[in-house]
Amino acid sequence: MAWEYSDKVLQLFADAVQGKPGTHMGELAEADGVGEYGSIVCGDALRLFFRVKPHPTDPSRDQIVLARFLTFGCTSAIASSEALCALLEERQPTPLDALNLTNQDLIDYLDGLPPAKIHCSVMGAEALRAAVVDWAAHRGVDLSSVLSEPMTEKEMEGRLVCKCFSITEPYLRRKIGELKLRSIEQITAALKAGGACGSCQRAPGGLQDLLDEYWGETAAEVGHISSANGRKDEESLSPWQRGKEIERLIATVIRPQLQKDGGDIELIDIKDNLVYCRLSGVCANCPAAGQTLQLVVEQQLKERIDKRLRVIEL
Amino acid sequence: MKLVYADNNATTAIAPEVVTAMQPYLTADYFNPSSMYAAAQEPAAALERARASIACGLGGIDPGQLIFTGSATESNNSAIFGSVLANSQRRHLMTTAVEHPSVLEVCKELQRRGHEVTFLGVDRQGGLNLDEFVRALRRDTLLVSVMLANNETGVIYPLARLARIVKQTDPAIIVHCDATQGIGKVPVDLARELRDVDLLSFSGHKIHAPKGVGALFVRKGTRWRPYILGGHQEQGRRAGTENVAYIVGLAKACELAVAGIADEQTRVRGLRDRLQLELCQRIPELEVNGAGSPRLPNTLNLAVHGIEGEAILYELSRAGICASSGSACTSGSLSPSHVLQAMQVPFSAIHGSLRFSLSRYNDEEDIDRIIEALPDIVARLRRLSPYWDDERNCLKLSAGES
Repeated sequence: MAWEYSDKVLQLFADAVQGKPGTHMGELAEADGVGEYGSIVCGDALRLFFRVKPHPTDPSRDQIVLARFLTFGCTSAIASSEALCALLEERQPTPLDALNLTNQDLIDYLDGLPPAKIHCSVMGAEALRAAVVDWAAHRGVDLSSVLSEPMTEKEMEGRLVCKCFSITEPYLRRKIGELKLRSIEQITAALKAGGACGSCQRAPGGLQDLLDEYWGETAAEVGHISSANGRKDEESLSPWQRGKEIERLIATVIRPQLQKDGGDIELIDIKDNLVYCRLSGVCANCPAAGQTLQLVVEQQLKERIDKRLRVIEL
Repeated sequence: MKLVYADNNATTAIAPEVVTAMQPYLTADYFNPSSMYAAAQEPAAALERARASIACGLGGIDPGQLIFTGSATESNNSAIFGSVLANSQRRHLMTTAVEHPSVLEVCKELQRRGHEVTFLGVDRQGGLNLDEFVRALRRDTLLVSVMLANNETGVIYPLARLARIVKQTDPAIIVHCDATQGIGKVPVDLARELRDVDLLSFSGHKIHAPKGVGALFVRKGTRWRPYILGGHQEQGRRAGTENVAYIVGLAKACELAVAGIADEQTRVRGLRDRLQLELCQRIPELEVNGAGSPRLPNTLNLAVHGIEGEAILYELSRAGICASSGSACTSGSLSPSHVLQAMQVPFSAIHGSLRFSLSRYNDEEDIDRIIEALPDIVARLRRLSPYWDDERNCLKLSAGES
């Protein structure tokens, strides 16, 4: 599907590729910070250069004054790169402040990006982060207090699961555990993986597989039917005995109660803690039929036999 | 002589509105919706408009849950195989004996591959036994697949209730519904009544769109994996370049179907009821299969005792009437309809089964034509039948046993 770009994106793209004065495409010799993000494999890569006006005494108060980029990528990747450099030169932040610049700032500057192109702005923010790390190394600034953990090499090199956002398998595994991500939607919201083309969501080795692997197929494995197993405290009755008890209680107590009101109940099946019943007679047409069952049958079964019992009406 | 088309459960005439809606995408807007250039934007947008429109007709669901396919058969295959792929720990499937072959054969294939399948029987009226249904549910049940309505008899199954019981039993069991015959004939609301249904299949050519396009609804969060692999179309859930023109046609047909539900429920039902009543008055030893169950408003399945269905069809065809039969001679195999067999329709009648299925394009005149033609045809064929007692005008006693 063709992308719908804002006028701003198209303008920045056109200006940058034509090298109009005031645009920022190109290499910057003697840069103070160089950062790269993406790769030719994922379809886009951005190399960001910036130069600072050094602070005479405190390197952490250096100011970014010049920014340039080289970008391999699509319309919006190039526009995002241009936007990034323009923003940096406009605001002239310290590199430390620049770390607060998010992909959302770029999106806002671009008057929005199509949902499938959000990763272009992420790429800009990530390249900037890498460039700041580079600058800090040159200038001897300690970033450990401002940057959480930089991506490890292993995470950078692992098998690429989400190509749109260049997200690797080791990184995903770590984040699924750390952030307790249990669904594709949650992964996309937190990491953006799977949020662009979506092809990695259910592909073999994709997000669903990683989720299944991490959490096991537990949701599907442990059905409610089997919830009676494992707990011993209320299992003084054998399943057979308990079944007989349920049957007896319905026949001698519950059914007569319902029949007094012109209704009836028929026990169909018992599976572990689930008791399947059919209501007939007046009860079945009563708007409160479901409630009658809930209140009368389930309550009595719970009180007299086992508090884990649940009633399902046919 | 005007053709009386009364075989709409087999396929339908393409609605003129559908043809008009499709036209641009068969000519000027032929581009691949995945392409980047501006020209491809229109087909890509049309695809999403179609998705949104169908989602709206199915109860205002999130359109992202709809996947376009090539047919209901493909949707059923994808639904079932895709569920099995995503739930390797579970081994048991449940379905009914009266499903369409695209469900039954998939289940039988899974049986050959080591899965266990319960094929639930139906009663003489084509209805499911709810008690048996409940008893068949197991700890390792992975999928329950029940059709919304039967193609041969029109019997409607209580999907909302079945799905509720399944989900109350174990939310991890996937509920699939082949809604191919229900769409456009009864309301299908996946947001409310059918909120417990996880997967739902249907196709276009039963609702006046062309053949070769269908859809599969996959509710968000369902443990299901794609079955048709390849490109990233349909968010990687169904590979293959989208059939834009046909999908647009499907959406238009759905729109007309939703708008036409009232007509179907009143006028078409009226036509069917009159057809049923008058034929039963004029033809002795005629049974209505499924009459004791809730039925689709457009379908009439008759058991004509003592004669063979194909012969009736041939005679009807000569009278310009299109219908179908569940007899062995018309099934392409050696056995008669599996649906009527499951209903234990007696052999004296199963070969004489006859189905009329109507649509919004049928009118009173069509019904008159059938009422006029059929009693005569039946009488003539019965005169030739060894199982018919012409003098007493009833079935010979021995026929039931043969």
